[in-house]
Amino acid sequence: MRPLAPLLVAALAALLPAEGRAQGAVGQPGAAVSGGGGGDYRSSTSENMADRLFDVNSDSIDMENGSMQWKGKTFNLGNSRMMRARFERYLAAPPPAQETARYLALLARIEALLSPAVINERTWAPNQQEAFNLLFEAARYEQDGENSLTLASQIRKVWEQRVEFRNMGVNHNQLEALRKKQEGVVVNRGEQMEIANDQRAEQGDKKGKGGALVKSTAGTTELGFRVKEEQKTQAEIVANQARMTALALQAQVEFQSQIVQYLLARRYRHCIMACAFYRVMFKAQNQNVRVGAKEVKEFFPISDYVPTLESLDGLCREAINDIAIGMRTVDDLYRQGEVYGAFERLQETYFLGENEPIVQGYDPAKKRVMLELWRDLRELQRVGDERDLANVDQYLNQVSARAKDFPAAAVRSKVEAARNASNMQLLAARQAVLAQDMPKAEAAVERAAKIWPHNPAIRDFANQAIARQDVLAQKVPEFDQLLADGKRRDIFNRRDEFAVALIQDKDRLPKLKEVVTKVGEVEAIILQASSLAAQGNPYLAWDLLQRAREIDANDLVLARTVAEVAPLVADYARFQAQAAKLEKDGNDAAALGAWMAAQDLNPISEICGAAVKRLAAKVAGDAAAAPAAGATDPGALEVPEAPSR
Amino acid sequence: MAKPNPLLLALGIPAAVLIFVAVVLAARQGGKFSDLPPFSPEAYRKDWATLQGNAYVFAGQVDRQLAYVEGSGRVLAVKPVDPAKGTGAVPVRVPAALGANFESGQRYNFKLRVRRDILEVEDLETF
Repeated sequence: MRPLAPLLVAALAALLPAEGRAQGAVGQPGAAVSGGGGGDYRSSTSENMADRLFDVNSDSIDMENGSMQWKGKTFNLGNSRMMRARFERYLAAPPPAQETARYLALLARIEALLSPAVINERTWAPNQQEAFNLLFEAARYEQDGENSLTLASQIRKVWEQRVEFRNMGVNHNQLEALRKKQEGVVVNRGEQMEIANDQRAEQGDKKGKGGALVKSTAGTTELGFRVKEEQKTQAEIVANQARMTALALQAQVEFQSQIVQYLLARRYRHCIMACAFYRVMFKAQNQNVRVGAKEVKEFFPISDYVPTLESLDGLCREAINDIAIGMRTVDDLYRQGEVYGAFERLQETYFLGENEPIVQGYDPAKKRVMLELWRDLRELQRVGDERDLANVDQYLNQVSARAKDFPAAAVRSKVEAARNASNMQLLAARQAVLAQDMPKAEAAVERAAKIWPHNPAIRDFANQAIARQDVLAQKVPEFDQLLADGKRRDIFNRRDEFAVALIQDKDRLPKLKEVVTKVGEVEAIILQASSLAAQGNPYLAWDLLQRAREIDANDLVLARTVAEVAPLVADYARFQAQAAKLEKDGNDAAALGAWMAAQDLNPISEICGAAVKRLAAKVAGDAAAAPAAGATDPGALEVPEAPSR
Repeated sequence: MAKPNPLLLALGIPAAVLIFVAVVLAARQGGKFSDLPPFSPEAYRKDWATLQGNAYVFAGQVDRQLAYVEGSGRVLAVKPVDPAKGTGAVPVRVPAALGANFESGQRYNFKLRVRRDILEVEDLETF
């Protein structure tokens, strides 16, 4: 019989992803007590565990299909929900009111009255009658379920059929006598007509007439009627024989049906009594099982097996014996504190012989303990079916507290594996999100939810995703506004949050990168310049800051740093500013002079060197008389024009 | 012949020498551009526009050549000889047509013309 724990393990193992199942970590709640889970959890792993705890080749209960295997024989226990309900009702039910021993003694007495050892010509009738009477007494016990009344009714019916059969036999004899009499009359009439015809033929020969002309038909009509009467009687005899045969067969069939019904209902003691009655009431030639032979053969997987009453009787006795052993095992396990083992044995023993008085009369206090365990196991199975792994621990602890022999470690291991698998899928989802692979992320989340639907990390992940969407909605316009205002430093300072928000924005992300790159360069230059200024190289620091201003002249930090360094290089800065202005105005030579003045203050300045080189080349190649195009002439207004004529 | 008055000689001769030396020095300093006003680098830097069109003499020492353009001219960095006029060099454009050779450290009297903002050398003489 399949134990519950491996099934729980198997059901929880089904939570594992395909990779896990590939390693054989899949279960089968076909015998799951709470059912409802659906799906095929059967696996070699669970079977192996089941084998370890119980030999499935001997007995097993298939809760899903509502059947039970017992020593290779299959009992259909009905709907699985009803089956579970029946077992729960049994655990909660009080013991039968009447004394079980007296009931069993009564059944034993009936069986003894019909025993082949005591049945003979003298005892045949009285023993049958006494056993028949005791059936009514047995039917008064609660354990009997009034099945003895049904058997008594069947017996009574056979007796009545026997009387009817006997009457039909008498009738048959009378008809046969009548037929013989009619047959004699027909023969006599025929002989009379033959004699009369012969006499007429002799008289015709003597008178010289032809024989055919003197033949008479007198008496033919009467003969015809006599023949018809005889044939009618013959037909009645045949019909009577058919009715007798049918009646005899009906009696056998109905009785055998009742026997098989008792067996399939696991009313073993009633089956044995019915067999005993049948054996006594029917002749030896009618002892073979005609009804339900196919079903009965299924109990015995032997190709040329011929079902007999004895085989049914033996089967019932074996079952009763097994039930007795099973109940003793249950009690022994319970006394040793192995409540889970006792529960498992009681479950299988109950389904083998729920109507047995020894099962019905089991100690209700012990049944109550197992009922509590059964309810916890069902809850454990339910949370397992619902993949509510967070609550599995709670019920595992409850079950373990009630039954120390419950294999909780295996269940915990599977639960932990399922949790890890779900979390790993979430990790993969997060990585996929970072890689902007949304289909992969969705698939990973789906797998994580399938393994562990109530995984709190999934909720966190979803909340983060929603929050991210909110942030995205807020950050985009904020970024646009800062960029439009030229507040690149602000963008740079919040680059991480903008990076997260704009990671999928193909238009804005390059802009963010550009801002971060430029401000980053400015930042590096500012640091370097500050360091140089602190080391007493303000001119070099100033040059660096000028380079930074070329990158982003509006940077506030840069402006502050420039303001700090400027007093240290006042003349230098003034010359550079003057040079820049002059150059901008197209006054290259004057700008060159200003750059040279600045260079005098900072001879190693690259900026000054480059400017001098650049402007000197321009001035050298430029005809002084021809001012540069577009160049201003600031002094033009100050030089008085020559008076015109 | 009357003997010269010794006192007159004693005062006259040194005076004559001094006058001679002064004339020589004056002649030597202004050279042939002595009629031109001296160039002030400071004034140029401060406001070159007011100097436009003027010609000046600039006693300077060639510091280095800043640029040279074939067929057009060159730009020299020239420092004033007189430290009182500053130590900073000014850019001076020498047209190619002037055909002079320049070495660092040479001293010249440059006749400069301020054309727009360019100090154009119109003539020069070494000293």
